[in-house]
Amino acid sequence: MDPTALIQGKLRPGEKAIVVADAGIVQDWVKSPRLIALVEKQSEHALIIFSPQNIPVTCSNDVSFSNAIPIDHEFHCDPAFSKRKGPIPDFCWVQDYWPLCPEMDSSSAYDAVSVNDIAAIDLCDDAKGDGLDSDGAVRRRAIAMGEAPIAARESVVRYQMAQREGAFTDIHNFRIFVGTWNVNGNSPPASGLLEWLACDSEPPDLYAIAFQELDLSKEAFLFNDTPKEDEWTRAVITSLHPKARYRKKKQVRLVGMLLFVFVQERHDAYVTSLGGEVVGTGIMGKMGNKGGVSIRMEIHSTSLCFVNSHLAAHVEECERRNQDFHDICSRLSFSNFMPPKTIKHHDQIFWFGDLNYRIVGIESNAAKAKIDAGNWSELWSKDQLKQQQKDGKSFMGFNEAPLDFKPTYQYANNSDEWDNEKGRAPAWTDRILWKGDHIENTKYRSHPTLRSSDHRPVSALFNVGVKVIDPVRYRKIYEEVMKQLDKLENEFLPQVTVDKLEIIYDVVKFLEPQSKTLTIANTGQVPVQFEFIKKLNDSYFCKPWLSINPYADFLKPGEKRDIELRLKVDPTTVARLNSGQEQVYDILVLHLEGGKDLFITVQGDYQRTCFGLSLHTLVQLKVPVSEVPTGKLLELEADRESEISACNAGVPKEIWLMVDRLYNEGLDEDELFFAKQGLDVEIRAIRDALDTGTPAVLPGNVTSVAGALLLFLESLPEPVVPYRFHQQCLDSSSNYIACMRVAAAFPDHHRNLFFYICAFLKEALLHTSKNGLDPRALATLFGAIMLKEPVGSPGQGLPARTEQAMKARERQKANFVYHFLVNDFVDATGP
Amino acid sequence: MAARGNTGPKPNGSAQGKICQFKLVLLGESAVGKSSLVLRFVKGQFHEYQESTIGAAFMTQTVCLDDTTVKFEIWDTAGQERYHSLAPMYYRGAQAAIVVYDISNQDTFGRAKGWVKELQRQASPTIVIALAGNKSDLASKRMVEYDEAQTYAEEHGLLFMETSAKTAMNVNDIFLAIAKKLPKSGGPGPGGDAGSSATGRRITEADNQPSSGASCCK
Repeated sequence: MDPTALIQGKLRPGEKAIVVADAGIVQDWVKSPRLIALVEKQSEHALIIFSPQNIPVTCSNDVSFSNAIPIDHEFHCDPAFSKRKGPIPDFCWVQDYWPLCPEMDSSSAYDAVSVNDIAAIDLCDDAKGDGLDSDGAVRRRAIAMGEAPIAARESVVRYQMAQREGAFTDIHNFRIFVGTWNVNGNSPPASGLLEWLACDSEPPDLYAIAFQELDLSKEAFLFNDTPKEDEWTRAVITSLHPKARYRKKKQVRLVGMLLFVFVQERHDAYVTSLGGEVVGTGIMGKMGNKGGVSIRMEIHSTSLCFVNSHLAAHVEECERRNQDFHDICSRLSFSNFMPPKTIKHHDQIFWFGDLNYRIVGIESNAAKAKIDAGNWSELWSKDQLKQQQKDGKSFMGFNEAPLDFKPTYQYANNSDEWDNEKGRAPAWTDRILWKGDHIENTKYRSHPTLRSSDHRPVSALFNVGVKVIDPVRYRKIYEEVMKQLDKLENEFLPQVTVDKLEIIYDVVKFLEPQSKTLTIANTGQVPVQFEFIKKLNDSYFCKPWLSINPYADFLKPGEKRDIELRLKVDPTTVARLNSGQEQVYDILVLHLEGGKDLFITVQGDYQRTCFGLSLHTLVQLKVPVSEVPTGKLLELEADRESEISACNAGVPKEIWLMVDRLYNEGLDEDELFFAKQGLDVEIRAIRDALDTGTPAVLPGNVTSVAGALLLFLESLPEPVVPYRFHQQCLDSSSNYIACMRVAAAFPDHHRNLFFYICAFLKEALLHTSKNGLDPRALATLFGAIMLKEPVGSPGQGLPARTEQAMKARERQKANFVYHFLVNDFVDATGP
Repeated sequence: MAARGNTGPKPNGSAQGKICQFKLVLLGESAVGKSSLVLRFVKGQFHEYQESTIGAAFMTQTVCLDDTTVKFEIWDTAGQERYHSLAPMYYRGAQAAIVVYDISNQDTFGRAKGWVKELQRQASPTIVIALAGNKSDLASKRMVEYDEAQTYAEEHGLLFMETSAKTAMNVNDIFLAIAKKLPKSGGPGPGGDAGSSATGRRITEADNQPSSGASCCK
């Protein structure tokens, strides 16, 4: 059943399943199957996750709800970055599913939904236990029901190693200096930047240095090109701390926003996976006059992200600033990673710049008075950023050190005085925030002695803990994880037992089917999909005289299945067994999906019969086939090309016996050859009589004898009309004389038999009034048998024919034979 | 600089070092100890009376090298002569083979040579073949001299070790030696994730895959 339709059946009216994908949830060591559906209701979307209750899933009842995750329009499932807080009121329809969902612990059960590939979604759950030391955590019962143990080794290894990170990493201390300055389009001061960048006694390990309004010219805005970049780069490089040597790792600029990251040379080799991206949120929501630039990297095993942003200006644009923050969060993506990383995918995030949040709720001069008196702490509560954070509207989860410095905006040029011209209230526009573990802030300050802008530079110093892998412990734990995975993988391989590996049939006789049963029991811990598979170079998984039912099936642990192996030698297979080209022997390959193969040997002693011997052999046998040693029989069968002497080219005695019986007793039989097939048991008795020579008079009813005659002719490996004459026969089928000419050319033993049968059929047609035989019908029946098609399929070297072409051939065969049933041909047979 | 290129251990990144997956087949006369070698390697166990393998047993085992992790998908084949014609199903598409003989039985060494010949003619031209003279604990009954086998292996470009599944001697070593010798430069495997090999185990489909090179991921 189409999974989308199946899921649709589980939903409420008005909800539409847009797409359904197979997915898996990795918990501890086990990946369990899930179906994940993207569902829409009134242009709101959610991911609804189902767990299969039955495998395979065939109807709606086979799945149950396991989780429902609302998706806001920016596809944010991380509450920390979402604009909304708590359960999202718009998604009441999704919340209605929560009581049905056992996996729904809380709205934030899933850290992150990563839609790497809609066809193979991995959802990572928090560990509920540690499977390494206790096998109890492995959910055997669930696995037996179809959950896949460690189906995706890479993701399980990643997950398990992440769980053990503490055991093989050491925390090394790093000193990070973050600086930000809105330079208002000015050039760097001639005195350099040492008093900002090198004001501490000890050099930092890493610098992240940010500028805004580097260049306010139209060119910079329109063409994103500015000579100021080089000026400031030189100024920065010459002002880094003199006690250490630094290397620039990355530099990113968007219009006036510029960000550098420098690391001390001694750490250079451990900084990897660098990326730099920009996002414009200015005019039209896209231009680079506002927005953010970002650099990410990994230091040893800790990922860091630095964001320098310049958010919307003006007191009243607070909402706009919040919007800019969210836009940067959602749009900034390091696209050279697969899957792309966004800001939140980092262990440590530093966000700084001219965030432009103002001081509100106090008159400008009053604020200035408080500041000038050194009481700026009284203004903290009036800071918009603090208020927005508190209201959960922006920078949720970010930390900031106390603002123990004068507001950094807005000063008169080259002065410590407020810019009274514009009359704006002072503000802490320039800020440094952080998020993540192992981050300790030690300094947060402004640098009022750099007066060349209307802003003052700000800097912060952090001691951060960086995870450094101990290769020895890492390797040990990695090997342990691998060992555990191997153990589980081998333990959960499909296992079956079969009740026998050899299937031995009783004496195998023509037309006597025998069935044997093979019982397959799933003795392993996982469901098994088994199938008999082809061997190399074979076109089928078993020989044509065998049929296997079912040849493929699905078994749950503890289940058994009886497989019927039915052996039947019929006219299409008898000749190859008679001639020794094939034995009643085969090795079947029973394959377990995802696991081992078992070999099942099938064998039996074949008893040769006159049915299916070549005409060439039959005419040479003077005694019943049972009296001929097998070796002699095989010898005769192997040599079908030798000349048959005229005295040997008579009709085979077996055919004579059958025809004689019919001639004596069957000519008046109603619908002879057509009414009944003959009884199997009688046909077998006739077979035995022909093979052994006793009793001399064939047993059974005449309809059985007629059936046996047809089977006999059908079983000839080379039909009555040899294959090489077939096309000529068909080509001349419209003309009796031409047909005669073709028939005259048959080898003696074939020609004699052909005319013998035709003569008998003519005799039978003399009794039409009693037996009701029709020459057309007889010609069609015997045409198909005496000119039978070779055994095989088009793939095995036979020409592919359409159904129509086959019908035409059958008609031509009938026409060919028909001539000999209605014309007098005695003279043509010659002496 | 993309994360996919990383090979170093990165517990919080996407790469844990490269996991390369290889198909390995064991061949050799019946009762030389193929299944015992696998059992020793995979589970660290030894059974004095190991059942005869009727079919092709399947197991996986991982070997950690310095820079890569090699995951073997091991096919342990039936040694009885009547199953000989089925062996190509298993060595076709294999990147490695261990041909096993019993040092106390000269015939099994002859049979091993036959397997080596067949592999070199019919298997992937890049297949890594190791010759294992098993049951080295039966030194008192030795019929195949170490030097003879060593010389043969050198002449035919095979790895060679005498092993004992019973005492564990050289068992891990021979797999490790193969792991080291296998080329790890192959591109991403057809299955993507090295672990999701349910289809890869379907040996009849192995024919469609390139017969050489590892299926490496990340």
